[in-house]
Amino acid sequence: MTEERKIRFLLVADSPGHTTGYYVVARALREAGIEVILGGFQQPSGMVEAAAQEDVDYIGYRIMDREPRIVVSLLMERLKERGLEHAQVVVGGIIPRDDVPKLKAMGVGEVFRPGAKLADIVAYVKGHAPRSAGSA
Amino acid sequence: MSEEEKLREIETLQQEHERLAAQFLSRYPEVAERRTTFGLPLKPLYTPLDVADNDYVRDLGFPGGYPLTRGVRPLGYRTKEWTRRQVVGLGTAEETNERLRYLFQQGQTGFSVCGMGYAPYESSDERSLGILGRGGVWIDTLYDIETLFQGIDMEQITINQIGESVAIFAMILSEARRQGIPFANLRGTIQNVVLPGGEGPDLRGNHGVDVVEYCCHHLPRWNHTSVSARDIREQGISSVQEIAIGIYGGVSTIRAALARGIDIDVVAPRLTFFLSAEDEFLEEVAKYRAARRMWARLMRDRFGTKDPRSWLMRFHVQTSAISLTAQQPLQNIIRSTIHALAAVLGGAQSMSVNSFDEVLAIPTEAAAILSLRTQQIILHETDAAAVIDPLGGSYCIEALTNQLEDEAGKLLAHLEAMGGEKAWAYIWEEAHQAGYRRQQAIDRGERAVVGVNCYVMEEEEEKALGLDVGQVFEYDPTWRDKQIARLEKVKRERDAQKLEAAKKRLAEAYKARENIIEPMMEAVQAYLSIGEIVEVLAAVHGLDELEKRHGFYLSFLY
Repeated sequence: MTEERKIRFLLVADSPGHTTGYYVVARALREAGIEVILGGFQQPSGMVEAAAQEDVDYIGYRIMDREPRIVVSLLMERLKERGLEHAQVVVGGIIPRDDVPKLKAMGVGEVFRPGAKLADIVAYVKGHAPRSAGSA
Repeated sequence: MSEEEKLREIETLQQEHERLAAQFLSRYPEVAERRTTFGLPLKPLYTPLDVADNDYVRDLGFPGGYPLTRGVRPLGYRTKEWTRRQVVGLGTAEETNERLRYLFQQGQTGFSVCGMGYAPYESSDERSLGILGRGGVWIDTLYDIETLFQGIDMEQITINQIGESVAIFAMILSEARRQGIPFANLRGTIQNVVLPGGEGPDLRGNHGVDVVEYCCHHLPRWNHTSVSARDIREQGISSVQEIAIGIYGGVSTIRAALARGIDIDVVAPRLTFFLSAEDEFLEEVAKYRAARRMWARLMRDRFGTKDPRSWLMRFHVQTSAISLTAQQPLQNIIRSTIHALAAVLGGAQSMSVNSFDEVLAIPTEAAAILSLRTQQIILHETDAAAVIDPLGGSYCIEALTNQLEDEAGKLLAHLEAMGGEKAWAYIWEEAHQAGYRRQQAIDRGERAVVGVNCYVMEEEEEKALGLDVGQVFEYDPTWRDKQIARLEKVKRERDAQKLEAAKKRLAEAYKARENIIEPMMEAVQAYLSIGEIVEVLAAVHGLDELEKRHGFYLSFLY
């Protein structure tokens, strides 16, 4: 008998400030039974390191200060180099509308912009786990 | 009729009104209950009974005089307007200087630049990708600060430094010195943070306290600290928590200064605050009044300060960001106007109004001008600034002011009992809970947000009506190349001998826990970059120690 494995979600940020939404989302995911690893402010290389160590299903990238297209493409590159493409990247923060399709074309699973409901974020994370985790 | 008989008459009538109200509201449970952000009932009506215990002279007094409830200046805005201080910060120092000068031309009266010293590495580092010039201006060396102030008279304006970077502080002073401006003529503010437990025998060498000490000795008109309660308020906490946390930060700073042997009547008058302006308009006006009175009472009665300037809580307000929406973004102009009006009615000394497009990016020039115009319209077109504390005496405002002061006093006592890191951990846990509850209330529709959970409009309709954000600020990735070129130019031209001497002196002062400001000025004047300065200091005792002594922005390192 195998114990059901919890979804593992690494939450990282592009800067140390502007943390309100970061903590709100962390709490919502935890209350929904998702294992949230708070990675805090990281560079893409650090994110990938943490993702490998923690064996996560998702990397949640909160972007408030940096240019989304530049930093997301960097993260995707690093993930590929490390052979971690199975970890799905989801992005949240102040992302211009026109950037959403561009980020998705880079391989981002979903982009949550201001006004997103917590329930929708939780539902997405539960419903799109890249491995069998939690999807039973 | 005697005063007491009059109050009894009001009491009878009020009881009758409350009975009617209860009867009516029981039929409409959805409108029955409103609460303040700190959880006490917000009544539908306030009367003299709610403020029956107030004593005018004891609790309100006159503006400019104890207990300062009605404002810090005897004639309010009639003799000194608040400073219009929109935050600027984009690209390299050239782009920021250009926008600053334009805003000054348009009537801005104060300098405030964000991004200065955010990153403890050089622009050429890979870590600057995507952030250089987007999250504020990028500064590598003193050369950038020279550019930033080009065409701006440092003696004519007040300079606000966002963040607490000691290197940036040293650069600003160095630029003033280069221009031959006596430090006594400089007016400004540094946000500065004295970390919990910021002083003590083993913590001598805390750079936040170094700033305080240096200002107290050399910069009589510079506010050495602007305690930010706004950052944490914006997590979603209450007005009471904002006051208590701000005052707790103020008290910690004063204690740290006292431990360095600075006279309380020297340190206290130059301590200022950075507050928010949120949606609850009446509560916000009361908040500023309550905070001012609480600080005055604390400083005079508990700390025993003698100089009346030590009792003044002066503060800058940046209007709420957490309440702005990406949906129908033009309506943010209306929200920010209401926030700004609360700050004016509450007696702010300085203000920055958020722009409607800041939910998506750095404001465009047009959006920044609209924010400035918001302040100018309140100041010049309305009569809000013509009368001192015009809402003073309102039963509601006075009752809320009393409640806020009482509740914040209790919380302050609790924080002080916990002390240091424990108190900060408690504050952050409270903040995270509050943010989560707020978002849940929005998601459930319990807290109305126009355009988000009510009066919602499809994006296509928004666009068709012209209610969308319009032109969003475009980030220019070539700013990084430009900045790297600026840094390389400095490195080519600087004097190698002077550089080595400055490095050595900085490392020695850091090791010996001397006040770091003068050695830091020497370092920046030798054109060491911030990245190099961090390297020099970290080579002495490592990064953890540097973070402990220097503060928040070093966390950008990782």
